[in-house]
Amino acid sequence: MSTLEEVCEDVRKRIGTVTRDDLGPVSARDFQRFAVAAGEPPGATAPPLFLSSVLGWGAGPTGDALSPDGTGDETAGLPLDGLRLMGAGQDLDFHAPVRDGTRVVRETSVEDVTLKQGGSGPFLVITMLRMFADESGTPLVTCRDNLIARPEAPR
Amino acid sequence: MTPATFEDVTVGTALDPVTIRPTTIQLFRFSAATWNAHRIHYDVAYAVHEGYPDVLVQSHLHGCFLLRTVLAWAGPRARLRRFGWRNRGIAVPGDTLTCTGVVTACRVDGSGAGLVECALEERKADGTLCAPGTAVLEFPRTSGDGEDVPA
Repeated sequence: MSTLEEVCEDVRKRIGTVTRDDLGPVSARDFQRFAVAAGEPPGATAPPLFLSSVLGWGAGPTGDALSPDGTGDETAGLPLDGLRLMGAGQDLDFHAPVRDGTRVVRETSVEDVTLKQGGSGPFLVITMLRMFADESGTPLVTCRDNLIARPEAPR
Repeated sequence: MTPATFEDVTVGTALDPVTIRPTTIQLFRFSAATWNAHRIHYDVAYAVHEGYPDVLVQSHLHGCFLLRTVLAWAGPRARLRRFGWRNRGIAVPGDTLTCTGVVTACRVDGSGAGLVECALEERKADGTLCAPGTAVLEFPRTSGDGEDVPA
């Protein structure tokens, strides 16, 4: 198994590589369910955190392809096998409202990765840049995700 | 109280606090709505095995609670420009989470837009900080040199 330093270097090599995904049309039902689950009234536009909170836009992995913790393909193709990934917060810029039927295109890239030493051992801090736009290229939301990747805790 | 215009906002203004008690049902529905299958949010035995007292409130749901606070204060005529938060402490169902905020800056940008910056905090009843955040909102102006952009 590669050391955290090696994983850090592998992730660093991805900086600047952009992955483009067509997420398809957003449905009012989906973003209104998000609003209701978050404790808010459903509205005609998507809640601000809808696009950046949804972890999957397709059918998703089969059950036997999931990790023991239930996570699937949330690492956006990064070489983070065997690490525990935690969302540590986001920074977002809002450009235009997202409405029922808006076809969303997402561009994902690694913006930065650093190896840090914490009280319970080393960990990686990864900043992922996700730019959401409509099909004509009009920006909707820009999101910087702060992710923490730690080695599995010893059992 | 919701300010009517940019000119009604001053630095130091406190946002109306919002108190939320998340439930296991809310966490389950939020996981479903976000297609998040991580067991830490619905499998108590798994969460306890990981060293937590109960299933955990999702990172993004903490963000939603802070946003609800600032948007409720700002009202429908304000437009959210920027928002960010950090997850610093865990929360579990039944915790009483109180979100507060204060206006930290008011400025007019080069285009004449009235921008208001807020610092936000979500804390548990014992005072533990769960999530700090910041937001930038554009408010309509009364002075006429700014454009009132509909949300």
